Amino acid sequence: MQMKTLRILFYSLLWLPFTSIAQTTVTGLVLDANSNDPLIGVTILEAQTDHGTLTDLDGRFTFVVSSADPTLIFRYTGYSTVEIKLDGRDQLEVKMAEEATLFDQIVVVGYGTQKKSDLTGAVSSVKGKDIARIPTANVEQALQGKVSGVYVAPSSGTPGAGAVIRIRGTGTLNNANPLYVIDGMITYDASNVNPEDVESIEVLKDASAAAIYGSRGANGVILITTKGGKTRDKASITASGYYGVQQVTKQIDLLNAAEFASAYNDFRGQQYFPNPDSLGEGTNWQDEIFRNAPIYNASLSANGGSEQYQFNFSANYFSQDGIIQNSHYDRLTFRINGEYKLNSFMSIGHNISNSSIREDVAPGVVNTAYRMPPVYAPRDSTGDFSDPTFFGLAIANPAADLYYKSDNHNTGSRLFGNLYADIDFLKNFTFRTNFGFDKGNRNSKYFEPKFEVSASQLNKNDRLSVGTSSTNDWIWEQTLTYDHTWDEHHITVLGGYTAEERNSSNLGGSRENFPGTADELLYLSAGNDTTQMNYQGAYDEAINSLLFRANYTFKNKYLLTVSFRRDQSSRFTKTNRTGNFPSASIGWNMTDESFVQGLDFLDRLKVRASYGVLGNQASASGYPSTGAVTSALYGIFGPNESLNQGATLISLSNANLQWETSRQADIGVEMGFFDGRLAMEVDWYNRETYDIIAAVPIPDYVGSQADPVVNTAQVNNQGWDITANWRQGGTVAYNFGVIVSPVTNSVEKLANGRSEIFAAFLQGEPASHTVVGLPIGGFYGYKVGGIFQTQEELDNSPKLGGEKVGDIRFQDTNLDGILNGDDRVYLGSPIPTITYSFTAGVEWNGFDFNADVLGAGGHYVFNAKETFRFSVYNWEQHVEDRWTLENPSLTEPRITNGGHNYKVSDRFLEKGDFIRLRSLSLGYTLPAGVSSKAKIDRMRVYVTGTNIWTSQEYSGYSPEFPNAGNTYEVGFDFGGYPIAKSWQAGIEIQF
Amino acid sequence: MKNITRSIEIKMTTGWRMIMALLVLTAVSCSEDFLERKPRGQLTYDTFFETPDHAVWATNAIYHQFRSWEMCAFPWIGITDIISDDADKGSTPNDALYVLELDEFTFDAANAAVTGAWQGHYHAIFRANLAIDNIPGIEMDSTLRARLIGEAKFLRAYTYFRLVQWFGDVPLITRTLNDDEYYNQERTSKELVYDFIETDLLDAIGALPEKDDYASADLGRATKGAARGILAKLYAVKHDFPKVIEQCDAIINSGEYSLLARYADNFLPVGEHGAESIFEISAVASQAAIVGPGATPFNMIQGVRGVPNLGWGFNRPSDDLVAEYEAGDPRRQATIIYVGEVLPDGSTIVEDNPEVLNERYNQKAWVPAHSGLQDNGPGNIRVLRYSDILLLGAEAYNEENNPAKAVEYLNIVRTRARGSNNFILPNVTTMDKAELRESIYHERRVELAMEQHRWFDLARWGRLGDVMPLVQPGFVATKHILLPLPQSEIDLTGGTLVQNNGY
Repeated sequence: MQMKTLRILFYSLLWLPFTSIAQTTVTGLVLDANSNDPLIGVTILEAQTDHGTLTDLDGRFTFVVSSADPTLIFRYTGYSTVEIKLDGRDQLEVKMAEEATLFDQIVVVGYGTQKKSDLTGAVSSVKGKDIARIPTANVEQALQGKVSGVYVAPSSGTPGAGAVIRIRGTGTLNNANPLYVIDGMITYDASNVNPEDVESIEVLKDASAAAIYGSRGANGVILITTKGGKTRDKASITASGYYGVQQVTKQIDLLNAAEFASAYNDFRGQQYFPNPDSLGEGTNWQDEIFRNAPIYNASLSANGGSEQYQFNFSANYFSQDGIIQNSHYDRLTFRINGEYKLNSFMSIGHNISNSSIREDVAPGVVNTAYRMPPVYAPRDSTGDFSDPTFFGLAIANPAADLYYKSDNHNTGSRLFGNLYADIDFLKNFTFRTNFGFDKGNRNSKYFEPKFEVSASQLNKNDRLSVGTSSTNDWIWEQTLTYDHTWDEHHITVLGGYTAEERNSSNLGGSRENFPGTADELLYLSAGNDTTQMNYQGAYDEAINSLLFRANYTFKNKYLLTVSFRRDQSSRFTKTNRTGNFPSASIGWNMTDESFVQGLDFLDRLKVRASYGVLGNQASASGYPSTGAVTSALYGIFGPNESLNQGATLISLSNANLQWETSRQADIGVEMGFFDGRLAMEVDWYNRETYDIIAAVPIPDYVGSQADPVVNTAQVNNQGWDITANWRQGGTVAYNFGVIVSPVTNSVEKLANGRSEIFAAFLQGEPASHTVVGLPIGGFYGYKVGGIFQTQEELDNSPKLGGEKVGDIRFQDTNLDGILNGDDRVYLGSPIPTITYSFTAGVEWNGFDFNADVLGAGGHYVFNAKETFRFSVYNWEQHVEDRWTLENPSLTEPRITNGGHNYKVSDRFLEKGDFIRLRSLSLGYTLPAGVSSKAKIDRMRVYVTGTNIWTSQEYSGYSPEFPNAGNTYEVGFDFGGYPIAKSWQAGIEIQF
Repeated sequence: MKNITRSIEIKMTTGWRMIMALLVLTAVSCSEDFLERKPRGQLTYDTFFETPDHAVWATNAIYHQFRSWEMCAFPWIGITDIISDDADKGSTPNDALYVLELDEFTFDAANAAVTGAWQGHYHAIFRANLAIDNIPGIEMDSTLRARLIGEAKFLRAYTYFRLVQWFGDVPLITRTLNDDEYYNQERTSKELVYDFIETDLLDAIGALPEKDDYASADLGRATKGAARGILAKLYAVKHDFPKVIEQCDAIINSGEYSLLARYADNFLPVGEHGAESIFEISAVASQAAIVGPGATPFNMIQGVRGVPNLGWGFNRPSDDLVAEYEAGDPRRQATIIYVGEVLPDGSTIVEDNPEVLNERYNQKAWVPAHSGLQDNGPGNIRVLRYSDILLLGAEAYNEENNPAKAVEYLNIVRTRARGSNNFILPNVTTMDKAELRESIYHERRVELAMEQHRWFDLARWGRLGDVMPLVQPGFVATKHILLPLPQSEIDLTGGTLVQNNGY
């Protein structure tokens, strides 16, 4: 360094007498736009001259330019060329973007890695830093809007909650959740991954990519790879943290006390509240349950290594209070990833993490706050919780629930990871043995004290419930890879054998009547043993698999991949246990073809096509073919009415059950334009799922309590995955991205003898109706035709019976002159027909700016919480326009409490379309000169806003109501925990 | 050069050895045993029906089904009391409209209560068939084995007896069906179903002990008396009155039963399995404040709605029933809870609930405060009381032209109801057959009101068409004397099952 400075000085002095002829010394730094790592050996040329230089080991350069106001050209293999006009500057920081990263990056695929350009399957890749930008405990939520063809919706706003993910539509009537593979370990729960540990996430979307996961690949596979160590001169230590505040995204427009009293008077037809206006605003119950809640995160990591070993250590603490009082989640994660080269032919490694979590669970108060009349204060004049029994309410005072029912905590820990060894032998062969493990335990403790707020909100005996559960899963895989290149041929063959086992068990109990409520007394043994209840259960399964894949490329142009997996699963009986899952795909890299070379604007072109068969065994329940004998069917006998054990078979099972099968075709095009600045990838797919497990209705006289399930139904998903990215390096580096994913979902067949599946019963009427030819779980009910304005209209219209003037007139949709259940029709789909997102990023002089916008459309939401009126609840604001003789509304019926106007109809259906500013962040990285004085390699400060703006048509908190467990009941707002918006400020320091 | 060769050799041999060792190790997990998994903590059908315990458990599981929602909540109450002239739907006007359809005779073949009752009863038959088919093969004490089969046959017969009274001809399923038999069952004529019930009950009478002969721990199991009682009712339905007399007198003369001194005690905890009780479905609340596995929703659905909040307030005693009572009959007070009334345990006064019209509740389903919430219902469901048998005996003797014996039995019931108040409920003295019949019919109604007997009594007397239109104009005699088979059964069998008239 010193030598160089001297040299610069020397040259500068040498040239000093000639500075008048516009010869300037420029110094600068060239960085990777993505990682901010210095780029070594970048060629720098002065335009229209033959002067040039290279960056040094620190990415720095010094260059004497000869012309006045020259333009500098930066070139680097694999990166987009950058041209910068000097404009009188003598210091430059230049960011260079990898050229169309879609093509040249290495992507992780099942049991290996591949160059993106060699891929023949549909695989999308997300970088770790794009995941870490969203402040969430769970990587699942951070995937929203990042991958084409992947629909992600937060499963709830509960702190620490994950997301419901649907890859290329909803592929089955049952379990449609994707499979996760974290560093080679297969799991269904990725909640333990610290987002900052993620190197990349790959989503395997088509059959070619996912078929290697066989009987579990049908819903797509999400591969999560955590950061490994990098060979460096000195270890890099990074400390980072952020702090933020979250709040509810919006409030629901409900009546205030004066409006409620007036509405109630109208409903009763008498002046229950003599002077409604005097009641004013009353209590906004939403204010009583929501709060501004802090969220923060602190991480420390060390990364480094030599030729012999590389390591990445990290520690992370994440803490999130929920926007509903008393809810909380925190997690402490440690990770040790390492790889060790033992000798010339063998290396071993590991990726191991341990996470410990704590959850404080708040009682469900969103619904009760929505329902509670605003005329009540949380507490009455004596300081007791208000008892709203005057209205015969069967609802709980949410303030009291929060007070009495919040001693509810879960703790858990999970040790997760893998150990592996790679052995090279013969020529071209590599053998790998990989042992993955996932050991978890979870404890729950809930104490509910004795209390009485009202006749319907009380707990007669204090009660402690505790539970513990554990999981112990392992996988052992042996794979052999043959990799050989000769002439213009390259072949890679992978073969392997894997065995895996999953075990889980739980144990718990409860007692009542504790001698006190102090924490140290709250252990089961302190309770009354005559009130004890307990349970214990366990589950296990095993899978054996053979796997095979061959990739062949010729001239780097013609690509072929075939793969095959044979699974044997313990879930099915011996004769039905084995399944074969083949796939094949081809690709044509046209970049070097003459007709592409001749096109100036187009620099890359690849087309590919794939077809294959995948399975979904997760739709089958635990032991679906075993005739399980149900116990605890007690008979009660004796003078003390004792429980006498009872047990028998109550349902018939199907010994021939198998997994569901998906056949998927995919055609994709990858394109690069304008020197790699614009990259596009477009895929079309058709995914047909057969043999979907469904209960076949049998007559009730058979006496089976559950209908036997068989492989029968069929669902189709067809759609497009479209991604476009523009990246431009330079002193002002920027990028834009667009993702658009339209999908059409359609049920092709249900069970023999069953033409429809009803679900989501609201007051006994189904609001979800699945039929052939329409999407799964379509909304179903009456259509509102208007409001009965006159007695004459009422008398002359078809009606259900009991309607009065001012009530809703439902449409006689089949025009038979009679209004009955046959007039209920399909009202709309809960599944978005399109999801999309936009990203934009700019970097300039140390500043970085990023914005992510996402949205979905074409679907509906059913405001189910509004249909429940067992007692007099508060009403939504729209009833202010209610029909009266003086206000003959054409849209809002007279005020009633349940009954006709609350029948399941499109009155409660609202458009689900929304667009949301998912993330907006502004950061500043200190100039290298400033930070190096503080002995810091790099320091960045930033502010980020998350979900800070949403445009939605839906009246509730948020229009996203996915359902991980039940595909028939999607899009129903039953009043769950809403998502939050937040602002946070953070800092990253690298030593 | 030599060195290099040697290192390659080492590399080769060490690598190969390790790989071979690993492959051998993993081959161990390749065995078929690795993939054979059974549910944990759960018996499976292949290992069931092997021990005496299994026989007892399989029998107990049939009793359990009688506490299900389908057999004791809306479906059961809906097509016994609410559908009859004894009761209206109750609760708030808009709550559970499908139950209102029963009250007003606007229901169709898809009504959830009718469908639910059909399902629930066939579930019980499924369990009974399993027990009756499999217990004989278990090596065990022969007396116990015979008794358990007797219990199962009693419960199966009683279940079919309910079905045949509601629906007429029904599919007679007497064993677990194979999958090729699911969709092709036909209705069996009610006469053959009667015969089947009679055979089961006669078997049960032969196998079951009397109430007193059971061990104390078995109190609540089906008895010889219970089987005779249901058989008496079957004969009454068939108008075979000599046989009604035979069975009733066998019960009366057994010395096993007597009337309780206080009528109201029958429905309080003190009356459970009392001297008057011939058969009841036992229930028990869990001590813990949750829904216990021995609880039923029976008390909850009929409990006071509002203050005190004991339940949902369904099955409201009708105006017509209130009018039926003779002046001063204490059984009215024991049957109905009114607003302003102090509850039987003196705990509190029932307040007016503005949401419930013409508020009244079924006191016979009332239970004192218990742990847990309403759905932890502990009240036993009284199925057959001694006074029922006395009145059935009276009815049969009258039909067989023995009015003296009829009046004797009838007045035993009235005397007890009267208690110490001699100004009310005078003895019936008429010997006129028709007049006495009316007196007995009247007595049955008030004595057994709100105990789910009325609809069956009206049906057996052939009086549904005379009585029901007076209280429910929607009643059509040609149609509503039988309930519709669930529409789904008609559809699934492709019409092999033929619907009842008018549906």
